[in-house]
Amino acid sequence: MMLGRVIGEVWATRKHPRLEGAKLLLIAGLQRMGDKLVPTGEVVVARDSLGAQVDHLVVVTWGSGARRVFAPQDNRHILADAAVCRIIDSHTYLDEIFNEQGGE
Amino acid sequence: MFLARVVGTVWSTVKWKNLEGVKFLVVRPYHLADLAPDFDVPPASMEDGVVVADVLGAGVGEDVIIAYGHSGRVAIEPDLAQNASPTRPVDAAVVAIVDTFDIHPNGKSAS
Repeated sequence: MMLGRVIGEVWATRKHPRLEGAKLLLIAGLQRMGDKLVPTGEVVVARDSLGAQVDHLVVVTWGSGARRVFAPQDNRHILADAAVCRIIDSHTYLDEIFNEQGGE
Repeated sequence: MFLARVVGTVWSTVKWKNLEGVKFLVVRPYHLADLAPDFDVPPASMEDGVVVADVLGAGVGEDVIIAYGHSGRVAIEPDLAQNASPTRPVDAAVVAIVDTFDIHPNGKSAS
């Protein structure tokens, strides 16, 4: 899974029918550098069903894990190789990172 | 999935039989540095072209969304039954041709 920040949204009229109605978010990958989360430079497009918005910290899951977000079983027809699987409370998450490091 | 610009086309005469009629494109993934030039991010590599299958008819210069793996294979078999497994030997494909995208890299609304 990948930690990222929502930076935008993509719209497409010409698309595979199995993407009909899908909300597609642009998400910038993040990594820890010292006590900060900084962009990795990578940007991914993930399907969202949780209502994530610009600036939200999210976790993106890949592959069959992403299809399970939309259908827990019998999901071979789902067209998604990346999906938002949680929206993070940034403060709580950052506290956890700092605690892992032994505090500030 | 990722956002990319179509930069070229690939032709081949010798190929897996059931890839007849499937077009192959070269795309270049967008990096954060392309989308947000003023933002402090690592520079993008120019050596990361990806070959992808396309049945939607994307052309050079268009922006597309690419899916990897199973989702890519599903995307190039439009008549696939609900729970059938795709059979074409492909691991990346165009799933959408982008109309527009909206970027707020600093979390502020730019529009």
